[in-house]
Amino acid sequence: MSKTEEFIIKASDLHVSYLVQRNGISSLKNMLLSFGMKSLFEKKEVLKGVNLEIKRGECVGLLGRNGSGKSTLLRTLSGIIQPASGKVEVLGRVAPMLALGVGLEKELTGYENIMLCGTLMGMSKQELKDSIGDIISFSELGEDINMQIKRYSSGMRARLSFSIALARTPEILMIDEALAVGDAGFKAKCWTRIKEVRQLGCTIIYVSHFPAEIEGFCDKAIFLKNGKIVMSGKVSEVMPVYLTEYK
Amino acid sequence: MKDIKYYNQRVSSYQQIIFSLTTRNIKVRYKNSVLGFAWSLLNPLVFLGIFVFIFSKAFPAIENYPLYAVTGLIFWTFFSTASNQIVVSILESAEILKSFSIPPIVFPLAALMSALVNLLFSFIPFTALMFFFGFELKWVTLMIIPVILLLAIFTFGLSLLLCSLNVYFRDVSMFWGTINPAILYFTPIAYASTLVPEHLRWLLKLNPLFHYFEIIRDVLYFGRFPSLFYLGTSTMFAVFMLTFGVFTYNKLKRGFISCI
Repeated sequence: MSKTEEFIIKASDLHVSYLVQRNGISSLKNMLLSFGMKSLFEKKEVLKGVNLEIKRGECVGLLGRNGSGKSTLLRTLSGIIQPASGKVEVLGRVAPMLALGVGLEKELTGYENIMLCGTLMGMSKQELKDSIGDIISFSELGEDINMQIKRYSSGMRARLSFSIALARTPEILMIDEALAVGDAGFKAKCWTRIKEVRQLGCTIIYVSHFPAEIEGFCDKAIFLKNGKIVMSGKVSEVMPVYLTEYK
Repeated sequence: MKDIKYYNQRVSSYQQIIFSLTTRNIKVRYKNSVLGFAWSLLNPLVFLGIFVFIFSKAFPAIENYPLYAVTGLIFWTFFSTASNQIVVSILESAEILKSFSIPPIVFPLAALMSALVNLLFSFIPFTALMFFFGFELKWVTLMIIPVILLLAIFTFGLSLLLCSLNVYFRDVSMFWGTINPAILYFTPIAYASTLVPEHLRWLLKLNPLFHYFEIIRDVLYFGRFPSLFYLGTSTMFAVFMLTFGVFTYNKLKRGFISCI
């Protein structure tokens, strides 16, 4: 598409809150009667008015400490969490890679897992049919694809999972520190594939605790602190602020 | 104010997801066990043995007690396994729900579907057993299909309600598993409702399951068209429970992610 300047993800005044149980299970009756859960649960605001705009083809690094709301932001943008208020617009299909290996069923074979996970990730039957060959060859699992994955090593599982998520080029890719697993060889392959996907015009949001990774890979960075965006812009501008904050 | 737009999020349909999950559930249940499918029959068979051994002497008034017991047990097993699996289905899928954008209701639906498939499988040996006990196949036997549908809807509605609550309070599934045997004996499955003293029978009718088992017995044990009254009450319970279950689910689903 030629509309490169147009945004693909936009969030305005985004508020997301979690319910936190207050006094443990003090009274089920109370909850049943109130139905609103107000008496038993406390709202904890995780995202407090986030505004962001990401353009098609951009690669954005998300910076912030543990608990600053990075994962929650990714989940909200992927449509997993419903915001309490605010506006979200996502104009493309999201491939969330929030954790590698989720959805895999250890009793099933690699092949069966591709069918299962592919569907869970939102692929249609036709898409799965078209890409099953690519997935198997990318995973380098060969004959092992017909083995139950409980006999796989954790690296093999990660490879399978990564291959299902990225065998086809997604429009938007959200990576939440998912690449911390697997052996060095496979990691390198993943990076090659992610860079390739990026070349093909995929929009990427990348969460990492390693500033070097973000500096080397992303065009832009967003610095999140306590559920608010402190700063966003070029990596070279945001990174010093982030680093001085947590010196 | 809330305004959310996701375009083009998913190509796989919900039916496809439910189908995939159902296949997974069934495959997982039977892989790696030597007896496989036989295990799902063993539980009702053990109960049948107990019932026939203990109760057939106690209730001589029930003609052909083994057939009476087996027609009840098949569906009790369905109700009990389906509800117990549905109740934990959303909580069990916590990781998936936190990673992919999928409406949580597909998990209870898939659990229901796999329980139904299991019920269909179990018909093969159980029908043989029923013939052995003197069951006669008639046109009216086909009425079991709508009856199963009604029971499935009721089971789903009730279990969806419990399942939604279970996300907030894990006690719900514990509670449900614990009172299951009590419900079994509160429902005329081992005994006939006619054996309950007249002045206490209204108590039985408070139990929605009672109504379903009356029409199941009409069709499979008595071989007659189900009582229209109980068919009506069963439909009412099914519609009410489904509405209530879906309503609760819709009310509570927003908080699921933060509780799982």
